[in-house]
Amino acid sequence: MGLNSKFWWKWLLVGGTFCFSLTNIPALAQETGFINLYNTGVDIRLGARYFERQCSRCHGLDAKGNDETGAPDLTVRLSRASSDAGVFRIIREGIAGTAMLPVSADVPDPQVWQLVTYIASLNTDPANFDLPGSVAAGAALFTGRGDCGSCHMVGGVGGRRGPDLSRVGERRDPDELKTDLIDPNETVLPRWWTIRATATDGTVVEGWRMGEDTFGIRLIDANANLWSFSKEQMQSYERVEDSTMPSYAQTFSESEIDDLVAYLFSLRKEN
Amino acid sequence: MKRLAILLVSLSLAVQVSAQEEPFQTTMTPAFSPVTWERLLNAADEPENWLMYSGNLSSQRFSKLDQINTSNVADLELKWAYQIPVIDRAETVPIVVDGIMFITEAPSNVVAVDARTGRRYWRYDHDLPEDLRICCGRNNRGVAILGETLFMSTLDAHLVALDARTGNLLWDVAVADYAKGYSKTAAPLIVKDKVVTGVAGGEFGIRGFIDAYDPATGERLWRTYTIAGPGNPDVSSWSEDSWQTGGGASWITGSYDPELNQIYWGTGNPGPDWNGDARLGDNLYSDSALALNADNGEIEWYFQFTPHDVHDWDAIQVPILADINYQGRLRKVMMWANRNAFYYTIDRENGDFLVGKPYALQTWAQGLDENGRPIRVPGMFPTYEGIVVSPSIGGATNWWSPAFSPQTGLFYVNAFDGEQKFFKRDEEYTEGERFTGGGGQYIQPIDTYFSAIRALDPSTGDIRWEFPIQPRSSAGISTTAGNLLFSGSVDGYFYALDARTGEELWNVSLGARVHAAPMTFSVDGEQFVTIAAGNVVMTFGLKD
Repeated sequence: MGLNSKFWWKWLLVGGTFCFSLTNIPALAQETGFINLYNTGVDIRLGARYFERQCSRCHGLDAKGNDETGAPDLTVRLSRASSDAGVFRIIREGIAGTAMLPVSADVPDPQVWQLVTYIASLNTDPANFDLPGSVAAGAALFTGRGDCGSCHMVGGVGGRRGPDLSRVGERRDPDELKTDLIDPNETVLPRWWTIRATATDGTVVEGWRMGEDTFGIRLIDANANLWSFSKEQMQSYERVEDSTMPSYAQTFSESEIDDLVAYLFSLRKEN
Repeated sequence: MKRLAILLVSLSLAVQVSAQEEPFQTTMTPAFSPVTWERLLNAADEPENWLMYSGNLSSQRFSKLDQINTSNVADLELKWAYQIPVIDRAETVPIVVDGIMFITEAPSNVVAVDARTGRRYWRYDHDLPEDLRICCGRNNRGVAILGETLFMSTLDAHLVALDARTGNLLWDVAVADYAKGYSKTAAPLIVKDKVVTGVAGGEFGIRGFIDAYDPATGERLWRTYTIAGPGNPDVSSWSEDSWQTGGGASWITGSYDPELNQIYWGTGNPGPDWNGDARLGDNLYSDSALALNADNGEIEWYFQFTPHDVHDWDAIQVPILADINYQGRLRKVMMWANRNAFYYTIDRENGDFLVGKPYALQTWAQGLDENGRPIRVPGMFPTYEGIVVSPSIGGATNWWSPAFSPQTGLFYVNAFDGEQKFFKRDEEYTEGERFTGGGGQYIQPIDTYFSAIRALDPSTGDIRWEFPIQPRSSAGISTTAGNLLFSGSVDGYFYALDARTGEELWNVSLGARVHAAPMTFSVDGEQFVTIAAGNVVMTFGLKD
């Protein structure tokens, strides 16, 4: 669309009013025989308003989901629906055996379609971004000078010292990816915190935190060994909530960072 | 402000844990070393682990562990439970490798947990399309492992490979097109350097097959159709082009004999299930045991249990392999209690029929001839009005794992003495739609009928003892060197019997249907028994 709108989705979240059509919706809908006609900016806004009232209690105002309620993140590819028609059906019928109830029968279909359009708009469609970097150049840096594969897997190849990036473009937008490269400590998922544990027999194990609870800790160390400790087995343990990834601000030029961002943002299931 | 918050949480958190009175006794070792083919070949010799769906390649579901035995099994207590977050009916048999348990969940997910505590290391969630074609629930029965890679079937008929240390997806291949009615639920079987796997969809007019894949890349190495087609003289066992929608799904995990280099695998019903008018003939190789050359997949022999089946009696049972004394000679046999209510002992070198007898209520056959072919009772085919036949559609047994104990020499099966009225209907094939040609109904409430664990002598087919189960059971069985037999029931009991006599030794009410098979393992010298019931995986051990 040529819409360089790295913030467009954030505007939508706060109820922005500009209009554009989501060209991907009719294409998706055709596959299943449904066509969502409620696909304008106004529909997105009305869908967002309905979402805030009816859906955000479980899915969050930012639609990013909530472990406590079991509500999934709706801003990434949905695991239970692969088309607009599928999302429509879930909203209409609910998901049996879960907290996802159907919307009231009084809600007219057009309103549900607007909600579908709003949810679709949250998914960071790469077609909506005109990034300055080159995907090919970024891929070369990733496997070459950056040696990113020593810690990260892409497509089943790479290391285990960092997150699998095979589909990172579905869950991080370009701004976030850039920050991840320049300032890895900005956002560190608890899975990537490190723990240094000293057992009562003096053994010291250090690794990434796969799981931690009141009574135990599970780690993966730098050699990909898995460890499980009961806290009773430890003299002490230390938790570091920084990232083990270095900043690449000095390693790469600004345009190279752009290339890496373009490459990472291109990593999706289709690839 | 956000930056400040990040700084605060970035500070190291040091926690001192007060020293315990009892210091940690065992040496801490990193869990999980690669599972080589050599380890899988000798899986029975590392009973602390449960390395594949049926325990070992001969699928005996017998463990050499004996810490829990007939003298102390009454002291079992719950050690931990793992709640599967997606509500469905758990049919999983976890595997355990060096203290790590891999559990599959409905619909097609995997979780890795500490086998001692049930606490999670990682999970993998598989994306599924919303228009799946599945006959019988959103099930998955388990993973296979080779090296550091797990292999899992998925409901959209894919085979996925996962890094066993992190759950990262390594590859994902479409085995078949789910939109045509194919799906996958069974644990794959590792045979040397191949991942061997079957397919479900027998109620959708598929043409079944068994495949082998390269574990490193997911490339398909061979495919053997379970329904004879053009170029194969056995296609003459199908009238006209009916082989094209002939069914013969392979929705179970097979077995392997390394000496004979043969893979043994069962095949499902011919399609459509209950109306055989358009598929006259024996319908090879539906309802059969197939022996495949492990290197190229070629069928070396087959044994068809139910020629021209019209009752949906899939030969989807786990083939149990053992060397037993038969008429004064040690024979390499395959033991098979079929859904059609007959028990068979077959020479697995060549498929010769040795022993065959009913092990459950049946009214459809007068017996078996000298080749093991059933002698049908006339007039037992489904009709438009309906006709009552035993066993029921679900069968005298089903996919529920049987077991064999080399210690007792007995074969154990969960048998159901049921009956049903079978109906025939006319049906045209439409791709991706159900293609069954009829159905069945109980003529009395199902709780009228009962199951039993039956212990058979494989050299004669005689029933040595039975343990009646009310109302009934759809659970698998395991036995141990502690002379124990573990199984469960639909009303939520998990119990232990004396494998020699059938005497009940222990039971616990788990509150939901047991629809999986138990398995046993040990960590740091302590034996555990695990069973899935309802939506929960539960692990039991002796009281501390």
